Amino acid sequence: MSQKKRQKPVVWVEQILLKMLPHQDEEEPASYRGSSGSCPGTVRKMPYLGSEDVVKELKKALCNPHIQADRLRYRNVIQRVIRYMTQGLDMSGVFMEMVKASATVDIVQKKLVYLYMCTYAPLKPDLALLAINTLCKDCSDPNPMVRGLALRSMCSLRMPGVQEYIQQPILNGLRDKASYVRRVAVLGCAKMHNLHGDSEVDGALVNELYSLLRDQDPIVVVNCLRSLEEILKQEGGIVINKPIAHHLLNRMSKLDQWGQAEVLNFLLRYQPRSEEELFDILNLLDSFLKSGSPGVVMGATKLFLILAKKFPHVQTDVLVRVKGPLLAACSSESRELCFVALCHVRQILHSLPGHFSSHYKKFFCSYSEPHYIKLQKVEVLCELVNDENVQQVLEELRGYCTDVSADFAQAAIFAIGSIARTYTDQCVQILTELLGLRQEHITTVVVQTFRDLVWLCPQCTEAVCQALPGCEENIQDSEGKQALIWLLGVHGERIPNAPYVLEDFVENVKSETFPAVKMELLTALLRLFLSRPAECQDMLGRLLYYCIEEEKDMAVRDRGLFYYRLLLVGIDEVKRILCSPKSDPTLGLLEDPAERPVNSWASDFNTLVPVYGKSRWATISKCHGAERCGPELPKTSSFAASGPLIPEENKERVQEVPDSGALMLVPNLQLTADYFEKTWLSLKVAHQQVLPWQGEFHPDTLQMALQVVNIQTIAMSRAGARPWKAYLSAQDDTGCLFLTELLWKPENSEMQISVKQNETRTETLKSFISVLETVIGTIEEIKS
Amino acid sequence: MKMIHSLFLINCSGDIFLEKHWKSVVSQSVCDYFFEAQEKAADVENVPPVISTPHHYLISIYRDKLFFVSVIQTEVPPLFVIEFLHRVADTFQDYFGECSEAAIKDNVVIVYELLEEMLDNGFPLATESNILKELIKPPTILRSVVNSITGSSNVGDTLPTGQLSNIPWRRAGVKYTNNEAYFDVIEEIDAIIDKSGSTVFAEIQGVIDACIKLSGMPDLSLSFMNPRLLDDVSFHPCIRFKRWESERVLSFIPPDGNFRLISYRVSSQNLVAIPVYVKHSISFKENSSCGRFDITIGPKQNMGKTIEGITVTVHMPKVVLNMNLTPTQGSYTFDPVTKVLTWDVGKITPQKLPSLKGLVNLQSGAPKPEENPSLNIQFKIQQLAISGLKVNRLDMYGEKYKPFKGVKYVTKAGKFQVRT
Repeated sequence: MSQKKRQKPVVWVEQILLKMLPHQDEEEPASYRGSSGSCPGTVRKMPYLGSEDVVKELKKALCNPHIQADRLRYRNVIQRVIRYMTQGLDMSGVFMEMVKASATVDIVQKKLVYLYMCTYAPLKPDLALLAINTLCKDCSDPNPMVRGLALRSMCSLRMPGVQEYIQQPILNGLRDKASYVRRVAVLGCAKMHNLHGDSEVDGALVNELYSLLRDQDPIVVVNCLRSLEEILKQEGGIVINKPIAHHLLNRMSKLDQWGQAEVLNFLLRYQPRSEEELFDILNLLDSFLKSGSPGVVMGATKLFLILAKKFPHVQTDVLVRVKGPLLAACSSESRELCFVALCHVRQILHSLPGHFSSHYKKFFCSYSEPHYIKLQKVEVLCELVNDENVQQVLEELRGYCTDVSADFAQAAIFAIGSIARTYTDQCVQILTELLGLRQEHITTVVVQTFRDLVWLCPQCTEAVCQALPGCEENIQDSEGKQALIWLLGVHGERIPNAPYVLEDFVENVKSETFPAVKMELLTALLRLFLSRPAECQDMLGRLLYYCIEEEKDMAVRDRGLFYYRLLLVGIDEVKRILCSPKSDPTLGLLEDPAERPVNSWASDFNTLVPVYGKSRWATISKCHGAERCGPELPKTSSFAASGPLIPEENKERVQEVPDSGALMLVPNLQLTADYFEKTWLSLKVAHQQVLPWQGEFHPDTLQMALQVVNIQTIAMSRAGARPWKAYLSAQDDTGCLFLTELLWKPENSEMQISVKQNETRTETLKSFISVLETVIGTIEEIKS
Repeated sequence: MKMIHSLFLINCSGDIFLEKHWKSVVSQSVCDYFFEAQEKAADVENVPPVISTPHHYLISIYRDKLFFVSVIQTEVPPLFVIEFLHRVADTFQDYFGECSEAAIKDNVVIVYELLEEMLDNGFPLATESNILKELIKPPTILRSVVNSITGSSNVGDTLPTGQLSNIPWRRAGVKYTNNEAYFDVIEEIDAIIDKSGSTVFAEIQGVIDACIKLSGMPDLSLSFMNPRLLDDVSFHPCIRFKRWESERVLSFIPPDGNFRLISYRVSSQNLVAIPVYVKHSISFKENSSCGRFDITIGPKQNMGKTIEGITVTVHMPKVVLNMNLTPTQGSYTFDPVTKVLTWDVGKITPQKLPSLKGLVNLQSGAPKPEENPSLNIQFKIQQLAISGLKVNRLDMYGEKYKPFKGVKYVTKAGKFQVRT
């Protein structure tokens, strides 16, 4: 992102800057904003006067005793000063005259002058000191509005040395009889604390603020919370103890919606002492689930979920009760509210897949909705599909596949693809029909979906193979070509014209622009050659020749050379290396996120996490980590970026382990996923235990370390999945099999280990577990 | 812990025409991330409301062709910020009659004052329109003329009394010579009708807006003939929730002036009447540069009331060059650039149903559109709440005078879509 500095005539901008006057001397980054760079609609509202002339003229007017004598004319001149100021002209030249103008009984004039002072005080600190006298005097004006205004302005001056002047007025303000002044004074405490450089906390002031939590004005109460939170942020913010919690709960109904939302957020810190108290609180909160403000509803829901974390049925009950308000927010007039509500619906669906199934029609897209809402709705539809609504949902999604917007159409096709994992036949039929439209953007996505699908659901291979012929005419992009070529290579023996399609690709390989496509083509053709040698031999030779002799991309060339040498070794070796399984249904089971417990996301509810995902938010808030004192973010370990490297010394330690026991694990144990699954399901858990595991997780490192001690990883979740799972296998020299499931749950920072054994032998089991423990313990150590 | 650090107002052509910072100044360059997203989205409507940048989140709303972009530095509840931004836009609308760039620029001093009162140190303060209006007087045409002559301004010079009342939504010491309480029951039908005319999805979104001008501290009870109709109800904070739970009566001390009392949904399919039907035949011939377009609108379950204010909007496929149509009533326009057909129908007279038919010119050589366009329909029915909701009675306690009471009903189309 390029840093474009916009030079403004005005240097200090704690105010609105109106861009009415085009700045001709600056470089307009028009190219970046495209056609929107300059706005033809903005007409100059006034002739451009050099700010010097304006200042001179205004100065004269402000000094004119006749004008000063006429209240309205005087005020009018001051208003002109403000207007220029907000339009970006430097008005600091009349500071002296404006300070004089603040000595008036006219409250309107005062308000305008204060506005001005807050803007320019940091530029003219010595002159601003003069203003402070007036402000101090105003802080004891009989009119509460004047007192409040003066105090607020003083606290906002933000110039060095102002602290000593504002302390007393703030303390007086805290005891003012007008709530308007107390509100200002309470927030002023936080501003003053910031001016002090956040160094020391004034204990007396904090106590005063705590006692003001009992103020009769609801906004004073909320402001106290905000102010204390800021002053005490080094100590983790305001402490909510039992009396404060119950006091706040009782005042809730008197607060405005913003206050309610914030108090609900503060109450998250309170842990009720007993079950009875907990349910009392939940009863008090009940009515806020029906508030007119979605923010309050969500805040109350989160508080419910967190408080009731030991009562899953209460949590479920609450989610049922907010279903209505949440669905209403999903069709709110405000598109932004809809969007955020939809993100939260997805979150809930992760734990309660059936929760919104009967309301599936709510998530049908309407033509005029913005893109980001449609995409969310499609995701939601994917997740709530069940036996009853699958027909209707698919019909609806089918309609979106031909949408004018290619992006949306593709999202709909991918959605059908993910539903296909459960409802394969219906979906494959729809996808096949889509190919008949012969539209490029549709065909490419359908083929990609097919590729992913046959890998997970081998039962649909036949149907997919029948649908493929002809697709090649409508695919131009890299992703689509790769998918098609992969399918032709892996399942080519079932597609009669597969060699001829690949031949076309080989013919045009010179003009092929994507190296990835060429790589895929090499692998696919070699695979097909194994099953249909007669048809492929000739063109395989041509392709290899081209790749080795003419190709300029090094990766493609190397791949070509590699296959060439492999072929020289002999066809059996090629077969051994290339003929990997053609599908892996177990992957689907692993990928399919199990129903996550509500507690795994309750603390993220009503935050930005459901909108953008945890990791994104973590990177952003890390930048402010120094000033943040909230819950600690997971530490990224030092080798996170460099990948799965075990430091040398640790490698030795790991390797020592197998010798320590009597147990000898055989190297290179080969178990198929199918066999593993069968055995796993047939055996009982022989041993289960939980190991502590803090912070981040690097599956690759773990896998590597396990391999060192001859424990093979059969399957594991992708990095970053929560909860994370892995299935391991190992065999000792006597033939005893150890099958292991690792289950890492980040929310309670522990790793659950379940081991199954095909022969019951406690001795070896113990040794095996100690090996596992050591490996996991070592990784945990390296990491921290 | 600042809720909102800064606010930028940006128009559709990408000019930042107003900025306000509540703590330190955040450089305008942060908006570049917004512009980037805007460019990627192609259509302004599609700019996502939450954008992450390396150091901030930008949460924005799009209202009346303006973006309100707020800069957030710490974890916040997103709904809270979105609601607040809408409240700011509502307030501008309320003060200036429209929430447009011109209105905001013309009233920049007031805008500045409003933002100052609505948010202090990044926290929402005074947001209720009746309280704000006492702090800062809204401009009127007359007043702005007077202002320009006399130089008076719009700053209130007394402390708003509302700030002293312990009920945040009502000020103390309200006095009216005519005491009135009006309620508007407004229902919008959201529906998707499929090709064959059957309902895919239908729902009523209803609200009751109140305009209460009553002296003193009135305590009101509003009851319905059929309260069980209401599925999901959201309440203004003034409503006593327990009373609704037990007796299905809305009992409350009202705010002064205009406010939304409740909003509700009626979603069980059989309760949602669809007041219009559309007969349509839209066809494009294969390998030909023309197509036929023919739609007719008629009344369906309209409970004997007149349906008026009908407009039909159709986004035609890209390959449509022009349309030659004849309406039996009203007028139509077709914009060849955006491909939007708008037919302003007016009201339905059952004797002669309004129709619009004619030819569609297509780009020659282009493949025929795969899908027929959807019709978006707007309409209005006065004196009817389509759900059948009826107010039974309004009682007032706590004050002695006799107020004037009134209830108005209206039904409108919300997102009403007919697929063809």
